[in-house]
Amino acid sequence: MAKMLQPTSLDNPLTIGTPKVLLPQPCLLVIFGASGDLSWRKLLPAVYNLNVDGVLPSNFAVVGFGLGSEGDPDEWMHQRARDGIGHFSRQQLDDSNWDDFARALFFVPGSFNDSRAYAQLKARLDAIDAQFGVPGSRVYYLAIPPQLVPVCTEHLKEAGLVHGPNESQSFSRVIVEKPIGRDLESARQINLALAKAFHENQIYRIDHYLGKETVQNLMVMRFANSIFEPLWNEKHIDHVQITVAEEEGLTHRDLKTGEVTGSRIGYYEGVGALRDMVQNHLLQVLCLMAMEPPYSLEPNVVRDAKMAVLRCLHPFTPADVDKFVVRAQYIGGESHGEEVPSYRHEVREYFAAQKKPIPPDSTTETFVAMRLFIDNWRWAGVPFYLRTGKRMPKRGSEVAIQFKTVPQILFNAHPDVPLEPTVLSLRVQPEEGLSLRIASKLPGPKVRIYPVKLEFNYAAGFGGKTPEAYERLLLDVMAGDPTLFMRRDAVEAAWEFVMPILNTWSQSRARYLPEYRAGTWGPLEADRLIEADGRQWRIL
Amino acid sequence: MTNAQAPATQPTAVPLNEIESELARQLKIVHGGGEAPVQTAHMSNLIVFCNKFDLGERIAEQIPAVAALHPSRVLLLMGEQDPGENDVSASVQVRTQPAEGRHLVCWEQVTVKARGSAVDRLPFTVRELLIGDLPTNLWWAAAVPPPLAGQFLYDLTEHVQQIIYDSQGWTEPARGVAATASWLVKFERGPMEGQFRVASDLSWRRLRYWRRIIAQALDPGTAPGAAQSISEILIEHGPHAVTQAWQLVSWLASRLNWQVQAGNVEPNVEISWRAAAPKGGLRIRIQRLAESPPEIRRVRIAHAASGKPEAFSIWVHDGRRLAMCPEEGQHSMRTMTIQPQSVPEMVGRQLSDREPDPIFRETMAVAQIFAQGLLS
Repeated sequence: MAKMLQPTSLDNPLTIGTPKVLLPQPCLLVIFGASGDLSWRKLLPAVYNLNVDGVLPSNFAVVGFGLGSEGDPDEWMHQRARDGIGHFSRQQLDDSNWDDFARALFFVPGSFNDSRAYAQLKARLDAIDAQFGVPGSRVYYLAIPPQLVPVCTEHLKEAGLVHGPNESQSFSRVIVEKPIGRDLESARQINLALAKAFHENQIYRIDHYLGKETVQNLMVMRFANSIFEPLWNEKHIDHVQITVAEEEGLTHRDLKTGEVTGSRIGYYEGVGALRDMVQNHLLQVLCLMAMEPPYSLEPNVVRDAKMAVLRCLHPFTPADVDKFVVRAQYIGGESHGEEVPSYRHEVREYFAAQKKPIPPDSTTETFVAMRLFIDNWRWAGVPFYLRTGKRMPKRGSEVAIQFKTVPQILFNAHPDVPLEPTVLSLRVQPEEGLSLRIASKLPGPKVRIYPVKLEFNYAAGFGGKTPEAYERLLLDVMAGDPTLFMRRDAVEAAWEFVMPILNTWSQSRARYLPEYRAGTWGPLEADRLIEADGRQWRIL
Repeated sequence: MTNAQAPATQPTAVPLNEIESELARQLKIVHGGGEAPVQTAHMSNLIVFCNKFDLGERIAEQIPAVAALHPSRVLLLMGEQDPGENDVSASVQVRTQPAEGRHLVCWEQVTVKARGSAVDRLPFTVRELLIGDLPTNLWWAAAVPPPLAGQFLYDLTEHVQQIIYDSQGWTEPARGVAATASWLVKFERGPMEGQFRVASDLSWRRLRYWRRIIAQALDPGTAPGAAQSISEILIEHGPHAVTQAWQLVSWLASRLNWQVQAGNVEPNVEISWRAAAPKGGLRIRIQRLAESPPEIRRVRIAHAASGKPEAFSIWVHDGRRLAMCPEEGQHSMRTMTIQPQSVPEMVGRQLSDREPDPIFRETMAVAQIFAQGLLS
């Protein structure tokens, strides 16, 4: 006899016809590493904002899990969350909203490696389920270092905290932060460990860049406007530049006292810009920019289209790496008129403060620039220049598409005064928006051509406030929409692409990297990389 | 953001044929001063119609809050039927508001006042003031249901993609609901083939949180069988919110396949219906609270999901949230935060929601049946 299926939220006659993204399902959000920086700065403020916006389900609660609490765990969690929200929330901390948020905020102390802690976690989650009418559904957010992922997922599975993917009444989903591993092998191991506990459609590998409006707008701009897509190929595009520039270094200081107030050195040292930014953010943005039109917006159709781009990336040989990839490290310089130290100084300072042995001079790159090609019909021969760095003059991320120049006749006939090419620039941050540089005639009897920038700014043009990327992505997980998350094969394909670079660098045993002054746009080597092709980096 | 808005220029009276040149002059003044880049932002043409001057003055005060969410060229039309007068006057003003980053956004407002038979000229005045290539929206701020405005509305909506109206406060709700339901079908079809138009009722928008929390409370994943076994619904509302309550009932009826059987009205006290659901009959009551804000205040739903009588209530909690709690057992209150529901904020948000809402249309079709049950 066929088994009678229980009705699920998907069968709710009162929500049929509502877009999936507007239907986050009742669940408990369990944050592993709730005492950590990510939870404090991003996750808890994001959930608070979602609650203030009234988009969370009413059957919902947040449970932190991990070490680090002091005194009463729930009370400690409340203080930690309130502090993070006070500092980083998009919307102001307000007593009424806070009280409502805190009612459903808990903490379970325990070591990730202790099976008894998972039993306690399970008991507490069951009790909170009953309290808030949650049908046993869970979103586990692993805000922890990648090496801890396997042990956590194994314990979750053993403790009976993971439902099967076909469970009709409730769901278990897991969110994993980038970087997934530190190389291809470790990424595979993490993916394998995840796969032992969760089905692939329960795994959400998060890259918060993909939750940003401009990044999502890339697809809309390409496929909802008839003028761009016909030009989106090697016939019309000269080259593409993707830049993610950060003005911050790895250490935060009080501007008045100079005292260190926070540091990411512990995570960053030995990781570097290639793993931290290129392998995930930049390649994901590249995929959206370069992919073929997907035939639908179904998550796997979009992800297949992105995957096809990664498969077409022209692999680097060791000789290519030397020639077309530049890494560098910042030395002392200036930021906002203040002197800032070198990366190596920050590393020494960090390890001394941690009372750990100070490592030999660091060769971790804080800047990477590269030229790559996509070997397919659409993009054959079009160089893509990628660039990312810390301690640059200002924070800014953009995708810039430079179109080929018009023939050298008519207005472009004078070889000494070539026309500025048409450039479409999509700004991801700050001030999300887009601009198009075109040539125009200056008023007057003489024909004088002048570049004009047509500009659209999201905040100014659309009014209102844009939610943070984490807010959008958390809602997507609760709604079960994985479109903006990375699939296993894509993560591994991205690692496959960067591995020759990492291998070449590791074999070179360089003791010094090219340097750039803090507060500049990178090393001379990066300029030479692009100038060798007769092009220039854009000034953001 | 709203508070930081500032008129960049003073309202200046102008003849109708000099509106554009005066706007250009004022915009030039705005662009000329200060260090921040000034951007003129227009997401839409926004026509606002008020059928009383005093109402128009009150609406004028709300327009900056609308524009903060949806910068537009605002054409505020005030028309008052005054048999003794017959004139039209106009004034223009440029306003600015800060945006993220260094930008300063500016937008313009044109106010046109007409009296007597000159009111009928307003739709024609509007046409020359619209900016091309932008969506055009009409905020029908009159208290008259739009379908009862006849030819005037037809003329005013000729180039409009969305009309926003508010059924809250209609003096004859049954008549208004019945007329609007019929009109919606024709209006949304548009005067030309392929032309889409949307009609949006702010009262329906106010219900979004109520609908969401009721959907969650009756979700088959958390309360299997509850939606199908509802035996009684009680909705309590403040004065002027009867159409909201009506729409909420109609929405439930349309989604859960209820057939209305008989209705009864006790004016200003209670409206009740008997309905047949697929698994039995149910009683629906809409009760008016004598003193209360003009909104739904409480919904109580009785059902028999587990084979025995159960019930839950949803109510407005501390003015900023909806709270839900089952009446049986030990449960924590479950809450949902409500975004501010002021009229300008709702209009500002509704302007960007241009997609037809089939659920609203189906709800209004059922609301019409409920209304006919009472009118007959």
